[in-house]
Amino acid sequence: MPEIKKKRHVSKKNKKDWRKHCDIRDVEDFLEDQRLEERLGKFDTKPDSELFVIDTLGKDEVKDEKDEITIKPRTAKERKRLLLSETPKCFQILLPTSKVEDPNAKRNHVNPIGAKPTALSKITDMKRLKKGVYEKKVAVARKNRKMALDKKKKTKQIRNTFELDLWGTDTPEAKGIPSTLCDEFVPPEAQLHNVLPERRLRPKPAPPKTVVNRAAVELPHPGVSYNPSFKEHQELLQEVVQHEQKMMKRETHLNRVTTGMFRKVTLQERENQWREEMSVGLPQPHNPANDQESESDSEYKPINPPVKNKKKDHKTRRRQKEMLAEKERLKRLKIEKKKITDLYKLRKLESSLSEVDKRQAKEREARALKRAVVEATALPALNAHKTPKQEPEYVDPDQLTGDLRQIKTKANLLRDRYESLQRRGALAAAKLMMKKKKKLKSYFKPGHKVTDQDVERYVNRTAGKK
Amino acid sequence: MVSKKKKKYSSGEGAQFMTRKAALKKLQLSLKDFRRICILKGIYPREPRNRKRAQKGAGGIKTLYHTKDIKFLLHEPILWKLRELKVYQQKIRKARAMREFRQMRKYLRDYPDINIDHIVKERYPTFVDALRDLDDCLTLCFLFSTFPSLKRVPRNQSLLCRRLTVEFMHAIIAAKALRKVFISVKGYYYQAELEGQTITWIVPHHFSFQPQSKDEVDFKIMSTFVEFYTMMLGFVNFKLYHSLNLVYPPKLTAAFSDTDKELVDEQAYVAERIAAMNIPVIKLEGANEVEELPEIDIFQSEGEDPQKLEEAKQEAEKVKKLKTMFKGLKFYINREVPREPLVFIIRCFGGEVSWDKDLFVGATFDESDESIAYQIVDRPNMDKQYLSRYYVQPQWVFDSVNTRTLLPISKYLMGAELPPHLSPFVDKTRDQVYKPPEERALLDPNFKPLNDDEDSGSEIEEASDEDEEGKDDSEVEDPEQALTKQYQQEVEEDSTSEDEDDDIDPEKKKLKKEKKKAMSVTTGVPHKEHPYQKEIEDKQAFRLREKLVRKKYRNLYKSMKAGQEKRKKEIWLLRKKRRLHDEKVKEAKKAEKHKKKIQAIEAASA
Repeated sequence: MPEIKKKRHVSKKNKKDWRKHCDIRDVEDFLEDQRLEERLGKFDTKPDSELFVIDTLGKDEVKDEKDEITIKPRTAKERKRLLLSETPKCFQILLPTSKVEDPNAKRNHVNPIGAKPTALSKITDMKRLKKGVYEKKVAVARKNRKMALDKKKKTKQIRNTFELDLWGTDTPEAKGIPSTLCDEFVPPEAQLHNVLPERRLRPKPAPPKTVVNRAAVELPHPGVSYNPSFKEHQELLQEVVQHEQKMMKRETHLNRVTTGMFRKVTLQERENQWREEMSVGLPQPHNPANDQESESDSEYKPINPPVKNKKKDHKTRRRQKEMLAEKERLKRLKIEKKKITDLYKLRKLESSLSEVDKRQAKEREARALKRAVVEATALPALNAHKTPKQEPEYVDPDQLTGDLRQIKTKANLLRDRYESLQRRGALAAAKLMMKKKKKLKSYFKPGHKVTDQDVERYVNRTAGKK
Repeated sequence: MVSKKKKKYSSGEGAQFMTRKAALKKLQLSLKDFRRICILKGIYPREPRNRKRAQKGAGGIKTLYHTKDIKFLLHEPILWKLRELKVYQQKIRKARAMREFRQMRKYLRDYPDINIDHIVKERYPTFVDALRDLDDCLTLCFLFSTFPSLKRVPRNQSLLCRRLTVEFMHAIIAAKALRKVFISVKGYYYQAELEGQTITWIVPHHFSFQPQSKDEVDFKIMSTFVEFYTMMLGFVNFKLYHSLNLVYPPKLTAAFSDTDKELVDEQAYVAERIAAMNIPVIKLEGANEVEELPEIDIFQSEGEDPQKLEEAKQEAEKVKKLKTMFKGLKFYINREVPREPLVFIIRCFGGEVSWDKDLFVGATFDESDESIAYQIVDRPNMDKQYLSRYYVQPQWVFDSVNTRTLLPISKYLMGAELPPHLSPFVDKTRDQVYKPPEERALLDPNFKPLNDDEDSGSEIEEASDEDEEGKDDSEVEDPEQALTKQYQQEVEEDSTSEDEDDDIDPEKKKLKKEKKKAMSVTTGVPHKEHPYQKEIEDKQAFRLREKLVRKKYRNLYKSMKAGQEKRKKEIWLLRKKRRLHDEKVKEAKKAEKHKKKIQAIEAASA
């Protein structure tokens, strides 16, 4: 007799407790059975032949078959090809995990987009088209296409006609409608409904001061007039001369500091030096002249003779001490005396100190001023290349004809603009690298029969190049 | 607990900057595209305070950008456009390689344009901002308008520049905004005033195209700048035309349309361009003449200097006169004169221009027109001259504009040696320098040189008197002191003489007296105000105010005053020297004349 367990009383107050202590195994079993039946059909109704298979093969043969099926090793390309047809790994999560097929095959099937229309669907489509269902769709599609084309055209036209009041008040941007909503596809209600504050989350940082403060077009020196007054032209020339002198001075300085620093030697001297340096420590060839000298001086002479430790006697030591003491005493005396005289000199000292202060203040001011000037005109260093300095314009007096028809100029306005942009810091200085044309070597193919004509042509061509 | 150690350069200047390479990586752009977008968006490389730190310890000089700038670029929708363009270019390249030329042509036809008008708006939030930055834009556009199609420049760019610049010049003509002109060796400098902003630009002289050497200028970069500037100038033109009640785009000539494909030579282009400038622009229907600016209202506020206000008023008056300087005058330009600047200037100030109709298109009247007031000539003589007009050299027009009046033509007649062409862009603050009378006459047309015959006699006497006095003084004191004394005396004399002049003319006094005698009724004595009472009081008040200068600035003020006085004295001294010299020359001339006369008489008598 099975022992009856005493039923313990448990609380089933909450849903959680209820679930915990309620036995629903029988229900689940039943449901499982039902699902199994749904999948496989009812056991009772199925014949035995469907349920069982007679095993006709032995164990060994099965093994043999397996050996035959073994897959050949594939190349990387083939492996990739195979992978193409497979579902990508990223989509695997979307696939059903169970291997069980959908029992309800007649679910609402949706053809994937791009699937070929079936014969049936074609027929229905035709029917619906005749009915006039699609007309509106077609019209809308046509309208949309036209709108897109117009928009494209309009942007192109603006580039030609500039028909847009950029700073006006009637643009949607001016009304506070964000640019993302300024589209013909967005109806005005939606535009107004969605008016957002178009505040820049990331405001543009201010441009560098050099770009803002420096003039784009510098006012010309009065001396560059096509018909300048004598004085102004002289001033201009003076400027040019000063600039040139400065450059020359700098060049000479650089020359002196670099190339001038090194001693020049002739080729012969250099050769000799090299020979000497290279043969240090090598056994010298026997020189009889040297030999004779060394032999005649037979007495031994050390290079640095030993030092004799000669002791001082008491008297000298005493004198030395006395002398030192006397020196010290005099020094003290002098200091004491100076203290007294300094008391009388106080005013003078004060004035000299204040003078130094004043001088230093003045110097400081001058330095600050100079620094400010340099800062205002300094060329920006934006690159490893140096920004070209502005040079005073030189107007050759011979070129001045005082005649509008015969103006001659060496100025290159485009280069001026380019350098001005660099000087303002809008562009980094650059050294333009031109692509070199490849030099083609021409030669006669070995084994090719060279005629006189060929040679002549070759010579002509090379001569023409020069 | 020990906090985690901060990594170096993760804050401060090291984090603020970014090298160009890092920026390219961050934006996923090629260097070419990055350069382009930087120019379009106005992002410039920066110079750090401490380069070592900004480069995160790396040596050398690298091109650095603000990290914020790059992050700002990251939000630009054009960035996506650039990436799309890259794909598009690949398609074109592929089509070309596959020799599918039809496809390639289709791609090229539908090449997507990048729209940058929102960038113009973003960089220049207001119209005035755009005007302020127009100098560079105009100079580059004028320059590019002279270029033929170049290798690295889009082929329609120079044409677009040509159109936009002519349109801009028309706007200037319609607004009468030109203020100063200057012919330099480099080109023509123009200065205009639009909405209170002064805009200066350079127009190159018209030569045939000078080949640019390739290694001097990066054409690709410059053309990118021009790309942005043309967009900007287009919108500025549009706005200007609308504010002037003009139709935009103006219909000028066929020269600027892309449609006609016929080969036209450079000269024909230029001729059409100038002809276009001679056509008045169509006004909007129903639009009135642009109203003149109202006169300056003067608000009497305490802070402002009345003198400055007066100056401003005078300036406004002058500008008003300048705007209509050539109004109603007809100009005929001879064929040897560069027409473009002259047509522009004359039309700017209301004149009418024409030229030889056989040589260039667009002439409005013939040379034989009797109503022509001035013919501009740049040759020594002409065979056929009309009596009804003046023949002047082109510089007269430029100088007249700069002095803001019609200058006397005597110095500018045909074949005459021209006076120097002075720059109008000189610093006005440097006025405390000596200017010889010739220069003063050039600068100020109202200036009357000293050697007028009437005045000279009395002046000579005065001068001799002064000389004697000076000599007397110099015997006693050293020359420097003597000079100062004399100077002071003269200043005093000047003031007193002015007083007398201004007081009442002696003739008038006589008249008054006669009238008084004629009348028998004795008049009551009216309260007579001392005419200089006010001035004297002002002076006293000024002195009092001077005393109120703070101690901090007193020395500065004193030195400023001393400097002014010194410079004044120098000018006075040089003027005096000049006067004495002139007189000496004059006297010598007189003596010679006299001698000749005597000789002639003697010869006649003998």
